[in-house]
Amino acid sequence: MGYTIAEKILARVSDRETVHAGDEVLAKPDFVIAYDFPGYTDVIFRQMEEEFGIDKVAEPDRYALFIDHMVPAATTAEEELHEITRAWGRKNNVPVYERKGIGHQVAAELGYATPGAFVVHFDGHISQLGTFGTLAVGVRRHLLEAFVKERIKFKVPETVRIDITGALQPGVTARDLFHHIVRVLGPRSCRGMVMELGGLGIDAISLSGRQTITSLAMFTGAITAIINPDDKALAYIRERQRLDIDPLFSDEDAVYHARHSIDVTDLEPIAVIPPSPANTRDLSEVAGTEVQVGYLGSCASGRVEDLALAADVLDGHRVKDGFQLNVIPTSNEIMKEAAAQGILTRLIAAGAFISSSSCDYCFGRMGVMRDGQRAVSTGTLNVRGRMGSPDSEIYIVNAAAVAASAIEGRIADPRPYLKG
Amino acid sequence: MALANLKGRVAWMFEDEDFDVDQIIGVKNIKIKDPDALAKLCLAAEEPGFADKVRPGDLLIGNHNFGYGHPHYPPMIGMRQLGIAGVIAESFSPGYWRGEIAMGFPQVACPGILTAVNRWDEVEIDWHSATLRNLTQATEMDFEPLSDGDRLMLEAGGIVGYLHAREEEEASQC
Repeated sequence: MGYTIAEKILARVSDRETVHAGDEVLAKPDFVIAYDFPGYTDVIFRQMEEEFGIDKVAEPDRYALFIDHMVPAATTAEEELHEITRAWGRKNNVPVYERKGIGHQVAAELGYATPGAFVVHFDGHISQLGTFGTLAVGVRRHLLEAFVKERIKFKVPETVRIDITGALQPGVTARDLFHHIVRVLGPRSCRGMVMELGGLGIDAISLSGRQTITSLAMFTGAITAIINPDDKALAYIRERQRLDIDPLFSDEDAVYHARHSIDVTDLEPIAVIPPSPANTRDLSEVAGTEVQVGYLGSCASGRVEDLALAADVLDGHRVKDGFQLNVIPTSNEIMKEAAAQGILTRLIAAGAFISSSSCDYCFGRMGVMRDGQRAVSTGTLNVRGRMGSPDSEIYIVNAAAVAASAIEGRIADPRPYLKG
Repeated sequence: MALANLKGRVAWMFEDEDFDVDQIIGVKNIKIKDPDALAKLCLAAEEPGFADKVRPGDLLIGNHNFGYGHPHYPPMIGMRQLGIAGVIAESFSPGYWRGEIAMGFPQVACPGILTAVNRWDEVEIDWHSATLRNLTQATEMDFEPLSDGDRLMLEAGGIVGYLHAREEEEASQC
């Protein structure tokens, strides 16, 4: 009987030969990652010292902190929070990555996404390190355990295997593919489990697209997502990886909770309608709905290929008067690359507003909506109040559809704009 | 230290699947921190006067994937302030589950619960036998036992107590 990649990784970090889904293990995370956020990092730092008398972490290289929310600071309280984080980093000799972009993306750029590694964060979107064969889990307040103890108690999860077949049509992206999975399998199809993706349809998707898909795993109920690393993933990460360990792969005869195969050949652009990430529809069902705001960015989307696709749609067109199109590249590296390729110039020429990388447009700190406004967004989430007023609405669509909707001021299919 | 059984009335039944707990207080109130203010807001939009009907020890019932979406802590801080002692649901969203267990707030996964109780029934959670008893209807059913880690965390009242307990356990093994 074989093992899944998740079981193999958890066996490695709990010093066991093998583990099975259902076993409870004491696992040593290879990396413990967090971004600073009130109520999380400041509380963890305080509890470590006051409750547990921990002055310094034992292995600082296992920890990484990101300052990507509230960047730049808009209030003194925010800047004070950042300074607490920087000071803790200095004292502990733990790296603090600030103003480099959204941490989940920067963590991959910096090699924390080592294939075969186990990573914990409080935020579930860290699941996107699974693109590189890393088991990365958002554990919420349990993260304190990883700051206080070398090992955390962890129940080995079952895995749902999803094979993707077929190739995406032009104007249909990895973003659509993920929400299609939620539509087909349901918002609790992977509840409490690992979503393992594979098949020729995944092989054909870029690493950026895989990061999009794995970043959103939580909306299937999964605790994370993972892809067995192929040559493409290994080539990207080889020069960056921080640990000298061998990548791990699921066995052919691994035991899965369930196996599904989803064909995406005929998939059309989708729209996830408010107020729940479970509400996937074909975009055509809501086409024509008036929208006033567009957001292209986030840890899920906002990479070079998303920006290029939006620029392709916008070429020769203008953002509609009065429409607010905010484009926020996912990291500085991505912004630099998009600038070098001339993509940012094309977006600006069409009327987009470009900001430096930050999480702030995704969680309603920047670019907020008032009552009655409606957005098309590549942000992570469309729940009420996520981008400002609880009486505003968010339709999640792909990057090309954000651009097409910006031209028309209503939800629009991007495909006519991408034809020759 | 064994976990004390829960015994209380069903104060509310959330019948929606994939229920987003932020709706309990309303998204516009999600940044409120004061437990008393949160307590007054709980379900106030659905049933004015809800807060006055709750007695300490009362329980909440949920459908499948309870806590789906992007759960925040304030709604259940408000519910605990009212005296709500735990949540029993058909199943839970893992992020919500982890968050509330870390707060030391009992959560019980009990397939079939939604059709086995009515509002204001008195129910008992027997942790030892993993049995839910509906005292009003004189019925009982099994629920899913807690994992060791979750049980220890609830016994210790949350993540901080749990980590202290682990330290004591490790010290005693030295």
